[in-house]
Amino acid sequence: MHETASGRAAEHHALVCEDIHKSFGTLEVLKGVSLSARKGDVIAMLGSSGSGKSTFLRCINLLETPNSGQVFVGGELIRMSNDKRGEPQAADRKQVERLRTRLAMVFQSFNLWSHMTVLQNVIEAPVHVLKRPRRDAIEQAEALLEKVGIHARKDDYPAHLSGGQQQRVAIARALAMNPDVMLFDEPTSALDPELVNEVLKVIKDLAEEGRTMIVVTHEMGFAREVSSETVFLHEGRVEEAGPPREVFEHPKSERFRQFLAGTLK
Amino acid sequence: MLDLQGYGPSIIDGARLTISVALISLLIAMALGLITALAKLSGRRPAIIAATVYTTIIRGVPDLVLMLLIFFGGQVLVNDLATMVGYEDYIDINPFIAGSVTIGFIFGAYMGETFRGAILAVPVGLLEAGAAYGMTRRQVLLRILIPQMMRHALPGFGNNWLVLMKTTALVSVIGLEDMVRKAGLAAGATREPFPFYFTVALIFLALTTLSILALRWAEKHYSAGVRQA
Repeated sequence: MHETASGRAAEHHALVCEDIHKSFGTLEVLKGVSLSARKGDVIAMLGSSGSGKSTFLRCINLLETPNSGQVFVGGELIRMSNDKRGEPQAADRKQVERLRTRLAMVFQSFNLWSHMTVLQNVIEAPVHVLKRPRRDAIEQAEALLEKVGIHARKDDYPAHLSGGQQQRVAIARALAMNPDVMLFDEPTSALDPELVNEVLKVIKDLAEEGRTMIVVTHEMGFAREVSSETVFLHEGRVEEAGPPREVFEHPKSERFRQFLAGTLK
Repeated sequence: MLDLQGYGPSIIDGARLTISVALISLLIAMALGLITALAKLSGRRPAIIAATVYTTIIRGVPDLVLMLLIFFGGQVLVNDLATMVGYEDYIDINPFIAGSVTIGFIFGAYMGETFRGAILAVPVGLLEAGAAYGMTRRQVLLRILIPQMMRHALPGFGNNWLVLMKTTALVSVIGLEDMVRKAGLAAGATREPFPFYFTVALIFLALTTLSILALRWAEKHYSAGVRQA
């Protein structure tokens, strides 16, 4: 009953996560986190390290398997089952692979494929996963690399690029999937301070274009300025959530106040 | 200087056979090695146990003993099994197949360890990125893991290949006419062992030298995208 009710609500959303729990051994990292994103929403997720925000993001595309809870992508429930030992697992691998192409992820440490050039990185999944014609994929990739300002380096290998450049390539790689939702896992945390802005600028431009995004970040200013909703996680629970103007100016939870005081110092 | 007294073509024939055995063994060893490495890293107990038993036995028993055991022992086993299912004729194991399989089997264990180390050297994030973009397990394996691990695997792989090639000399004990056995026959007939065994040594050296050059090229090829320190 619950499943159909939330399923109906999920139809109008690009992404819905319901009551996600995740433990590593005896450590319970997520204690029931829910989140929903309408088309065009930019949700910034804040939280100190260990709050579970990255784990939550990785549960959305099943890089981590949640112990319980439901994920709907474009209204479609990711079906789960239990393996022989009773551990939860995806019921249908094909479904997961298909839905993952709708959820492009940008990683903290870029994770560009180092044996491929910049251009090859961007066309890899469109050609081999989405089965688009190579020529179309290259054309699109060149346009995207232009957009993130890195077209001149398209034939270089990632190791020859700065961190900021690599992250912009990674964003182009994500855009090449034409995803419904983009998942950013601390996209600027591994960057030298002077490189942070070039990446934030690209993400901000995407927000303005109306891309649906979940952004796990430490960048307060970015969350405040760009997000349509800010979510603060603490010890595996949502402590505070709402439009940034509200939560930053009138935080309800004591912990979020402390968090803001600590980082806004 | 090296008077082969007309045995030259015979030794060349033997060299051909040596190369065939080596290449077929290599293919078997690579396949077994990859399976073993993936089994050991799979996190599944039965797979880990099977792979560990395999590598422990192979690495703990001399190659010569294994060769004799598999060829002669295998012969008996196959015939006993055949009799059991009602097949009366005597089955001869083809020594070429037995030799190649045995050497492939032995070096599969060594390759397994080499590959396992190489796989562990690949950053997990690159594989996760593949999965996150909707790749199947097979695509992650073929398009990311294998190209990434090659660079780390090649030094150990090259070493295994050189030893494998030299190990092919063992097939002469099960009656295969490889170049070592051809040289032995020529040496026996002419009572001049030196020129024949020396020729064989030179041929092995030529093969290994060529291999080293090819491996050097491959290492360079698979290091594309790695910044030279």
